[in-house]
Amino acid sequence: MSKLEKNKNSRGLGFYLSIYRKILIQDLKTKMSYRADFVISTFGMILTNLSGFVTFLILFRNFPTINGWDYYHMLFLYGFSLIALTPVQCFFDNNWNLRFMVRSGDFIKYCFRPINVFFYFMSEVFDVKGLGQLAFGLGTLIYAWYHIGVAVTVGSIALLVLYIFTASLFMIAIMNFAAATAFWMEGSGNVMVIMFRFKDFAKYPASIFNSVFRFLFTFIIPIAFIAYYPSLAILAPDEEPLMTGIAPLFGLLVFYLSYHFWMRGVKRYDFTGS
Amino acid sequence: MSPKKLIALTKAGIEESLQFRLGAFVTLFANIIYLVLVYFLWKAIYASSGTDVVNGMTFEDTMIYLILATALFNFLEMYVVWDMSRNIQSGKIILDLLKPMEYKAYTFWSYSGNHVVLFFLTFIPTFIIVMFVTHGAIPMGINLVYFIVSVILALVVNFHIEMLVATLCLYTESTWGINIVKETIVLLLSGASIPLAFFPEAARKVVGMMPFRAVYDVPLNVLLGKGGADTLSGAASLWGFQAVWAVILIAASTLFWNVSVRKITVNGG
Repeated sequence: MSKLEKNKNSRGLGFYLSIYRKILIQDLKTKMSYRADFVISTFGMILTNLSGFVTFLILFRNFPTINGWDYYHMLFLYGFSLIALTPVQCFFDNNWNLRFMVRSGDFIKYCFRPINVFFYFMSEVFDVKGLGQLAFGLGTLIYAWYHIGVAVTVGSIALLVLYIFTASLFMIAIMNFAAATAFWMEGSGNVMVIMFRFKDFAKYPASIFNSVFRFLFTFIIPIAFIAYYPSLAILAPDEEPLMTGIAPLFGLLVFYLSYHFWMRGVKRYDFTGS
Repeated sequence: MSPKKLIALTKAGIEESLQFRLGAFVTLFANIIYLVLVYFLWKAIYASSGTDVVNGMTFEDTMIYLILATALFNFLEMYVVWDMSRNIQSGKIILDLLKPMEYKAYTFWSYSGNHVVLFFLTFIPTFIIVMFVTHGAIPMGINLVYFIVSVILALVVNFHIEMLVATLCLYTESTWGINIVKETIVLLLSGASIPLAFFPEAARKVVGMMPFRAVYDVPLNVLLGKGGADTLSGAASLWGFQAVWAVILIAASTLFWNVSVRKITVNGG
């Protein structure tokens, strides 16, 4: 085991990428055998996004600005949040199955492979539906970007990519934390549903909250980092708050912590010997 | 079916839900944070609008409406679609079909206990908080009785929408997809995510005739005495609207179920 353990740590990114590709192909093959499910789920996903958009339109029909944010700036936030929420949907969707596997004992199979447990578990499901959301988000973002008139330069695109990556880390981390509670308690499904619901508020500027809740949504449940702080890097580069500057590092830290929390749960699971 | 047997099902449901008290409290706590989010959002919205009344709704009206809609949502939420598809996949549905009671009635009464528990654990606390925070913006009188009648009708309408959708599970295994479509449509068109009063005139007319309004919007109007619900005849016409839809949906879901149940395919069990 110790030799395996050593091997496990010395394996590089290339090894993991090739494994991910293999598992992904298997997963897609399985999905293709349920074509109706794929069609209906994709339709459902598009409908959710459309419904969010309609809510948005109705709101702005009645109220032209929200806290100094006009229609196009709000659309920018909205599109940004949809894109930033795509990775958690596509690559980390298996978190939703964690609690069932922990309870039934099926989870033990992940512990017996000579690869990283977190990686192996997450690689098993790739959620195709997330791609619809990505397309919707990109469309919205480009439309808003065009109307706001931010210059399109190599620099601004690079900044956008960096900050979308950063923003996605936060939601992944939140869901890792929420899902990993399954190792300690029953009813972790509720925790996940709630955390998932909070993301609906990521598309509004965090400046609408008072200081207590702004602190809460910055440091405790960091949904303000899913769209608000990162977007300011592009929308208001001259007056961006401190949080925007430190967002990339903070994102990595939060993700790292969530990963450790998750793995600590796995250790505990080993211990129970079930 | 004698009432005694139905009450036994309700009681079993109550006991089952009480097993998951922690879940109910987590939900309650999360709702409070969620409502705080809603509060700040609408406060900012109204602060930016420059007027106090938009489409006949003040900030307080909107808040009360949305808070109670959330509370109502938690209390009315059913998982018929999930349960039925799981039962089809595991084969357990055969056992339920063999019970000496009609499947639909059995499901309805099994859920009733859960509704009773949630009514007291989530709706009543939220209602009391709103009552104190708004210093009596909710009228207290005969409208509470009207409201109960309306909620019961809403429950029936909601259950039969669920049943109609759940029957689709006999044809496809795409539970997640079917459920998300249903949830999105119901939440948007029932006024639970944004009050129907804010919808454009034409859209409001169309949405106003659909059954989804009978689930959240109508009971809330009855409770708050809006839309002519402050008189008995006004309330009665809203009940009538709910009742008509209840009858249509009962007929539709019964018919659909009876046709579909013959097609049921169960792998093992």
